[in-house]
Amino acid sequence: MSKAGPIVGGIAAIVISALVFLVPFAFIILTAFKDRAQAAALDFTWPASFNLWTNLVEVVTTRNWMLVTAFINSTILTVSSVTLLVVFAAMVGFILARRKSRWNPLVEFLILAGLMIPPAVVPTIWLMQGLGLFGKLHGLVLIEVAYNLPFSIILYRAFIATIPRELDEAAIIDGARPLDVFFRVILPLLWPVTVTNIVVQSVGIFNDFTNPLYYLPGNQNATVQLTLYNFQSQFNTSYNLLFTNILLITIPPLIVFLFFNRQIVAGMTAGAVKG
Amino acid sequence: MAGLDLKDLRKNYGTVEVIKGVDLSIDHGEFVVFVGPSGCGKSTLLRMIAGLEEITGGELWIGDRLCNTVEPRDRGIAMVFQNYALYPHMTVYDNVGFGLKLAKTPKAERDRRIREAARILQMEHLLQRKPSQLSGGQRQRVAIGRAIVRQPEVFLFDEPLSNLDAALRVETRMEIAKLHQDLGTTMVYVTHDQVEAMTLADKIVVLDRGVVQQVGSPIELYQRPANLFVAGFIGSPKMNLLPATVDAVEGDIVRVSSRDLAATAIRARSDGLKKGDSITLGVRPHALVPNQNGNVVGQVALVERLGNETNVSVRLPGGTPLMVVLDGDRALRLGESIILGFDPAQALLFDQSGVAREPL
Ligand SMILES: Nc1ncnc2c1ncn2[C@@H]1O[C@H](COP(=O)(O)OP(=O)(O)O)[C@@H](O)[C@H]1O
Ligand SMILES: [Mg+2]
Repeated sequence: MSKAGPIVGGIAAIVISALVFLVPFAFIILTAFKDRAQAAALDFTWPASFNLWTNLVEVVTTRNWMLVTAFINSTILTVSSVTLLVVFAAMVGFILARRKSRWNPLVEFLILAGLMIPPAVVPTIWLMQGLGLFGKLHGLVLIEVAYNLPFSIILYRAFIATIPRELDEAAIIDGARPLDVFFRVILPLLWPVTVTNIVVQSVGIFNDFTNPLYYLPGNQNATVQLTLYNFQSQFNTSYNLLFTNILLITIPPLIVFLFFNRQIVAGMTAGAVKG
Repeated sequence: MAGLDLKDLRKNYGTVEVIKGVDLSIDHGEFVVFVGPSGCGKSTLLRMIAGLEEITGGELWIGDRLCNTVEPRDRGIAMVFQNYALYPHMTVYDNVGFGLKLAKTPKAERDRRIREAARILQMEHLLQRKPSQLSGGQRQRVAIGRAIVRQPEVFLFDEPLSNLDAALRVETRMEIAKLHQDLGTTMVYVTHDQVEAMTLADKIVVLDRGVVQQVGSPIELYQRPANLFVAGFIGSPKMNLLPATVDAVEGDIVRVSSRDLAATAIRARSDGLKKGDSITLGVRPHALVPNQNGNVVGQVALVERLGNETNVSVRLPGGTPLMVVLDGDRALRLGESIILGFDPAQALLFDQSGVAREPL
């Protein structure tokens, strides 16, 4: 009796999360298989005919292969933003943890401010236009980096504090210059946090809808989330195509999860110090 | 060839002075041990030599170069840390070769030197392992290997044995001594353990609160400690320090006595001493022997029988504890009264400022 409680609770939790996560996904897949008329009903029924292939072709070729461009844009955006985020956040975390100075409180305040204060869109656009970065992909990369940097720094900072300082010092004695210390000794040791950062930030940036909408107007510049607009309009929405599109752009984040899920690296620093 | 010269070396953390003007000269090939209680500034001094701490004042000469502001990598030093500080993500081979790689040593040369170091330290079979797959002793060996491949002029060790268990500590201590013999380089070794200091050093530097208390060979420090601090620090068990009063001064003979100590005449530098001065008499536990005509009487408070010798803690009438080490095995009863004597030539007097009054 005393054992039944946790088991029942566990099963209930699994069932509920399965419902919450799998049912919408099943709905997406089913609808992607339907033809336009059946999909318009938006109900949970088995497809009357299987139209996935025709739906796929139509989604991909719509508006002069816009989805392909969008995938390329989104990939560039995600990969470059996440790379910059990882490197910069780890660097800031490293310096904050290692080099105590009177600037630290100010930097920490700015990090917290970056987390708490919502970005203002119009002044940002004005600034980007002034810099000639508005509507440019690299401009958006900078935006994503700026918006997400505080969170990444916070992830890194606590972990860096646990890496013994003697490791840096041993490297310095071995002849490492500051960049060697960071890239060859510290950054590899941060891998567990880096994985977390890559997963969280790449999914976030890939799925970002609002920032590309504000800062990256124009068909040539579309990112994947914006292609969802292709099949919606006020009077006429092709739900079968919309859900096929959703299905397609859900795949990359899914792959990221599956790939890095296996990379749970624990205790990388085990053995660095006494044991 | 590189000796070291420290000239009035100083270190401040903010307004706190941690190293208060150290003057020290270390010859090429010497094994020097910095010893002192925890927090006395040994590590700080060593790290200043390594270049890991900025030097606030004074001069540091390594060989014939002024090194105050030279980068650590250009000082010709290598350092072994207390907690090993191995790079966890690299194999032993890469750990040892990291410095060579950074120096862009050609691959073949690098490989040769790594294997050479591994051979010296008998760890060839460990080269492909990660640090987490090594025992504490093996890790320390890798850390030493990492120092050897750099072929430094000066080795620096910061308490390298304190994370090892007792047996391994003795073994590794001997290996370090052998390494010093084989390589013949200058070594500076930091420890808070005076046994390590006594066994390894050519020259011991006793530090207390950032000030050098005495520099000398282990036996010099044992036999002729310059002051109360060194007397109490060097030697195990500690030297007994008995408060006493000067009864008379006759040339270089000083007569002292106290409640615990019958009148005793000791040869000492007597200038400035006069009748009535309080003084401290130091006598090593090994110098005390049971003697019916002895001048110390007390009660046995604790006995530790080790077989080859017996440690006896004696309670004196004045309440001062007295440690005695007797040869061989002695069956003593607790509470038993015991009369002890010592050769006055083996006792030392320390005046009120703690300075030893050695006979001239
Ligand atoms: N970064 C620092 N800031 C302020 N004080 C320090 C710092 N590092 C060491 N100290 C102080 O300097 C003194 C000497 O430290 P250390 O050299 O580590 O002693 P030890 O002889 O035990 O190796 C200690 O009192 C310590 O509190
Ligand atoms: Mg120390």
